Amino acid sequence: MTIAELVREAALEQVGYSADECLKCNVCNTVCPVARVTDLFPGPKYVGPQAARFRMGHTLPAQAKGLPRLASPDRTVDWCSGCGCCTAACPAGVKVAEMNSQSRARMKAGKLPKLRDWGLGQTDLVGTVGVLFRPIANWALANRPIRRLLHITFGIHHSAPFPKFSRGTYQSAWKRRQKRLQKQFGITAEPGPGAAVVYFHGCSVNYYEPEVAEAMIAVLARNGYEVIVPPQVCCGLPLISNGIYGEARAHAHKNLEILAGYARRGYKILGTSSSCIHTIKAEYREMLDIHDDEATVVANATWDICEFLLDLHDQGKLDTGFGPLPQDLPYHAPCQLRSHGIGLPAMDLFALVPGLRARDIDHDCCGIAGTYGMKKEKYGIAMAVGAPLFEKVRASGATEAACDSETCRWQIQGATGVRTRHPVEILLAAYRAADAADAAEAARR
Amino acid sequence: MPGADVVVVGAGLSGLTAALAAADSGARVQVLARGNAGTHWGSGGIDIAAPSGAATPRAGLEALAAVPGHPYAALSGEVEPALNWIRGILAAEGLTFEGTLDSPLQPAPTSIGGTRPVAILPTAQAAGARPWVSGERLIVCGVAGFKDFWPDAIAASLSRPGVWGGGSRPDGVVAVSVELPGLAARHNLSAVELARRFDDKAWRADAIERIATAVEGAAAGHAPGQGPGRVALPAILGLNDHPAIFDELRRRLPLEPFELPLVPPSVPGMRLYFALRAALIRRGGRVRIGEMIDHVECDGARVTAVATAAAARTSTVRTGALILATGGIAGGGIVADDAGHLEEVVLGLPVEAPPVEAWLSADAFDPEGHPLESAGIRTDADLRPVDRSGKPIYSNARVVGSLLAGGRLRDRCRDGVAVASGRRAAR
Repeated sequence: MTIAELVREAALEQVGYSADECLKCNVCNTVCPVARVTDLFPGPKYVGPQAARFRMGHTLPAQAKGLPRLASPDRTVDWCSGCGCCTAACPAGVKVAEMNSQSRARMKAGKLPKLRDWGLGQTDLVGTVGVLFRPIANWALANRPIRRLLHITFGIHHSAPFPKFSRGTYQSAWKRRQKRLQKQFGITAEPGPGAAVVYFHGCSVNYYEPEVAEAMIAVLARNGYEVIVPPQVCCGLPLISNGIYGEARAHAHKNLEILAGYARRGYKILGTSSSCIHTIKAEYREMLDIHDDEATVVANATWDICEFLLDLHDQGKLDTGFGPLPQDLPYHAPCQLRSHGIGLPAMDLFALVPGLRARDIDHDCCGIAGTYGMKKEKYGIAMAVGAPLFEKVRASGATEAACDSETCRWQIQGATGVRTRHPVEILLAAYRAADAADAAEAARR
Repeated sequence: MPGADVVVVGAGLSGLTAALAAADSGARVQVLARGNAGTHWGSGGIDIAAPSGAATPRAGLEALAAVPGHPYAALSGEVEPALNWIRGILAAEGLTFEGTLDSPLQPAPTSIGGTRPVAILPTAQAAGARPWVSGERLIVCGVAGFKDFWPDAIAASLSRPGVWGGGSRPDGVVAVSVELPGLAARHNLSAVELARRFDDKAWRADAIERIATAVEGAAAGHAPGQGPGRVALPAILGLNDHPAIFDELRRRLPLEPFELPLVPPSVPGMRLYFALRAALIRRGGRVRIGEMIDHVECDGARVTAVATAAAARTSTVRTGALILATGGIAGGGIVADDAGHLEEVVLGLPVEAPPVEAWLSADAFDPEGHPLESAGIRTDADLRPVDRSGKPIYSNARVVGSLLAGGRLRDRCRDGVAVASGRRAAR
């Protein structure tokens, strides 16, 4: 194999090698939301493809290892929020954001992560403890002096948006529900793949937003689907974002093992978090380099809920009996949704709801980027990145907004005070509006 | 699968023009583009035609229309209406142009100290292409620390009479450099970062004052206001608030300012992109950037859907028509391999091109350019791609812009071809 062939082959599957396609045209720098608001980050081109040539020793395939392994020449890569705007705008197909995430991980490899960064990646631990000590935890997170203390000691910004822990985990609520159903109806067998879908709920639903799960289950029930909720762990994205790849891989393998069993039997795996779902669809393979059969079969079976519903609609199978929702609804498409490459399925679904005036805010990033905006040194950047979005949401005068990713919802709601919901909650409200209209009609007769 | 009446692949000038024309006729339009390129790499102007010897764009257009195989052979009548129409749309978005098809092609200075023949320019660049009268000086004003614009080198080069190609030229070119506020911490200062700072009202008040002081110093000797002379600045005068910024600067300076477009990323090009995109969204169109076409679905000779690569699968948009605005070799619409095969990337259309031995001129900087530049897709008069026998391959696919066969860079006709073909394809 010639070097050229080696390089070409590597470029097809390795993020780092896409740097070879970079023309240095600077388009990525023009779309970077972080570079737009701070001088601390020189822009994705400089820390990405431009710096990549100095790191090539790390990305060469196994055959060519032995070349010098050089440290990242530019440590400002840590200011990258990972939003992915650069990758989308690149005319040459360079995976800039992915490159930056991998360089951050390499920069941090072999060192103990900052306690704060490690902690932000421990969504299951934080969630479990928080739910267990719910009243105290919720009180503490809303308490100014304690938040100040967290700010100083751990570096979690005192004003960063945090949701309230829910009463018990969604996993335990689901198990109780299954037991109740078994007792009532004696059903023990899982419904088959034609009649049910598997739900990857992610941490936000498990510990903070069970109402999103309820909405999704109700919307799917309306369309003839039951839901199976298998045991699962955090998808690992918060760990990937904080450069802790080793632990993220362990999460990935756990989830893949569980989900592959379902995927192989023909189940679709759905999620309400566009970020967790993108992690399973793309990042397990692309970022964590897991290229086994499990990763592929699971990725192929995994769908974002709105993507799935729109696909049902395309087949003429979606119940479009939505009732009127006469309201303004500013919608923000999260960065992670853009990385799915599926357009804006939520907007297409909103168009089916009579009276609903949904409007795409058309802003690049809300700023939070998962855990980025929660960090004391990055909070100001995150708020500045999202500022035009917050202004538009406020100016809309709407009482509700919609967004597919949880941390973006918390960010928008925290900054604007406007209740921000998952699209599936809006769709459920539209179904209920139809029910209410039917009931009123029946009462009149 | 969302549906559209028209899918346009590519978000450069030709793609967005086609999308706008389709949206204007009431169609539901989706633009799918791999990234930003054409607009962000260009000068933000609309070059119609400037083959050597032409005195005006109209003369150039007529000359090119007579060249067999040139895109203008079929489109020359479409250029003026398309230009007027797109200028109306851009003006409504706050982006105005000066000059017409009958304005003289003048040598306007460039940011590497050369000149280029132009007639139609964004308002902020227009003063660069006006004929020079006796006694007029050119002050090239740079920004300290900004590596994409070297006023001393530009002034030195523009001081050589030969650069102006025998046309009128300033009586003396001088350079000044201005320290703008708060830039010391920035290591990689780009035009976009400077433009964003100009968007900030408080910052630019200070910046404009500093520019004015420097220009007044350099212009000393001439009575202010009567100002024989002009000031060339790098094209950094704002992205979102550009018209107001240019107006403030023009009113404050003793001499007339104009912008010189820079190496990418081009701020004037981004303004053009933003204006076109905003106009399209206002008309209900959608723009998706970051989408690679995976395949196109057909029913016989009819394109029925376009599938883009998505995470773990493809994402499909059903469509009534397809417009390819993917650019030529530079834009990525055509790729070449080492063996001399050229491939059109979306539909695999036959590419018309010179034989591989004749792709390139021996001199890399040959003023005639390289024969390969003319590579592209041959179409019928309705811009439908045709096979070797001249028969349309698809009934509802059109090709626009630089992907069309027959254009050459030396003709400076890319923008005119883009708007004329874009508008025509959507009809």
